[in-house]
Amino acid sequence: MKTISEKILSKRSGVDAESGDIVAVPVDLVFAHDGTLPLAIQQLGGQKVKDPKKVVAFCDHASPSPSEKVSNVQALMRQFARHHGMDFYENGDGICHQIVLERHASPYKVIVGGDSHTCTHGALGAFATGMGSTDVAAIMAYGKTWLKVPETVSVEVSGKMPEYVHSKDVFLELLSQITADGATYKALEFCGEGVEAMSVESRATLSNMSIEAGAKVGVCAADEKVKAYLTRYGRSNEFKALYPDEGAVYTKKVRIRAETVVPMIAKPHKVDSVVPVTELEGEELDQVCIGSCTNGRIEDLRVAARILNGHRSKVRLVVFPASRGVLLEALKEGILETFLKAGAAVGPPGCGFCIGRTVALGDNEVALSTQNRNFKGRMGNDSSFIYLSSPSTAAASAIEGRITDPRNPKE
Amino acid sequence: MNIKGKVVRVFPGDTNTDEIISGKYKYDELDLNKLAKHTFESVDSHFYEDCHDLKNPILIAGANFGCGSSREQAPQVLKACGISCIIAESFARIFYRNGFNIGLPLVECEDISKDVTQGEWLEVDFDAGMIRSEHRNKEYRFKPIPQFMQELLERGGLMPYLDACGGYTD
Ligand code: SF4
Repeated sequence: MKTISEKILSKRSGVDAESGDIVAVPVDLVFAHDGTLPLAIQQLGGQKVKDPKKVVAFCDHASPSPSEKVSNVQALMRQFARHHGMDFYENGDGICHQIVLERHASPYKVIVGGDSHTCTHGALGAFATGMGSTDVAAIMAYGKTWLKVPETVSVEVSGKMPEYVHSKDVFLELLSQITADGATYKALEFCGEGVEAMSVESRATLSNMSIEAGAKVGVCAADEKVKAYLTRYGRSNEFKALYPDEGAVYTKKVRIRAETVVPMIAKPHKVDSVVPVTELEGEELDQVCIGSCTNGRIEDLRVAARILNGHRSKVRLVVFPASRGVLLEALKEGILETFLKAGAAVGPPGCGFCIGRTVALGDNEVALSTQNRNFKGRMGNDSSFIYLSSPSTAAASAIEGRITDPRNPKE
Repeated sequence: MNIKGKVVRVFPGDTNTDEIISGKYKYDELDLNKLAKHTFESVDSHFYEDCHDLKNPILIAGANFGCGSSREQAPQVLKACGISCIIAESFARIFYRNGFNIGLPLVECEDISKDVTQGEWLEVDFDAGMIRSEHRNKEYRFKPIPQFMQELLERGGLMPYLDACGGYTD
């Protein structure tokens, strides 16, 4: 009786794997970006890439390039990708994780990314995990990696989420319970009717943030919603249903009752320093940021636009769609117009504000962002402060210029 | 394998990779020896010089050392600073893997950061799973490092190891 992680790793390694076992598995997709690929290229040291069809490179972190040094590093990546004949996503195509969701990830795949938020792809039933540049280089050269099969913590979301409460709030609630190292070395497996009711996009927010609890992967079952998602992107042939076995062994079970979750916020500088938004209402803000691989998808932009519609932001508002596809959808749906009329600076698809490479904070400034990390200095300034919330809370707070509960939106 | 060295710093729990090396440098500097000058810059501006004054500097830390971003530049700059070994109460998963992959020895030892102080000499015996403090005449045990990972260290990391073995055996 196996968990989702045990099922994938057994199938892909060809051995009957249980948590604790070390297996060597073929890697179906390995990717890295402008922050991690250059070092992987160095580590590869001129060796051949075994299967370039399974390697993908992205320019998304410092994108569009803000300096000549970054441009030179990106040029090196471009040359490497061209030389080996691998897929290369340019400045403005979007964040690696969003593009992998849209075009590459599917159930049962083993995916390794040179980025800690690679766990995002668990939302499509993949075993996806972040590794460092040397692991990426070794996979490029040999096509395989070694993995310890993780123990699994089951996270059941029961019931129905109230209006203006999102999967981001559910995860922040979970973090407040299990803390930032509550799942170190383990898999999180999300289930329950609350998760079943969620779109793949909302599930991707849960999977994305799993690393903030230290987890290796954050997986969801591959159900009809996953099938519909893959079909939407012309990849229905990649669908395979995937559920945990009845009687699978979990090291721990956590239950979150969705109907009791309220809008939550993480305070600077720790992701697990979480309180209900109502406790911080009225705190002054300098900037509100909507986007990132956590909450930069079309449904996040829709939610924010619905609240912002007809209002003007009282603070600097920056919006970075997660991918070119998301930006095009936002354009078609009139969402972009809503943002522009609300006074937003809309940036090109990419990581944008999230690590302060293309939008940095000033001294002592306070930001509220829909991203996943609020470490000191994360947005480019060691004396600034970062709060984390859902897109609804971010939009409602932009209108007021202060932290605001989204449940009483302005008409 | 044995390492004898002086403790250069004792860091608290949850030390993250953004603190070890700020994201603002990693996109434009590929030379790790140059990048190493910025190690711990935002929290400890003398770290780099202090490491260079010592032979085999050892870093001690609390739980969950190296959490956050997967940037391998974090263990790489510590290695480039000359750190011979990091002993922490526990490590974040990706950092732990990265450390062995680049040939930087990491040891998990309970309660270590509570006793040990800066400037102390320590001797780490990897085969016996033992850390000795001459100053305080005290010994600490740790779970010996699996054979496969000791081999990674001896070969100087994952790439030289795989090159020597011709890839994965199974
Ligand atoms: S959006 Fe932020 S967290 Fe996501 S990949 Fe980019 S930098 Fe990392």
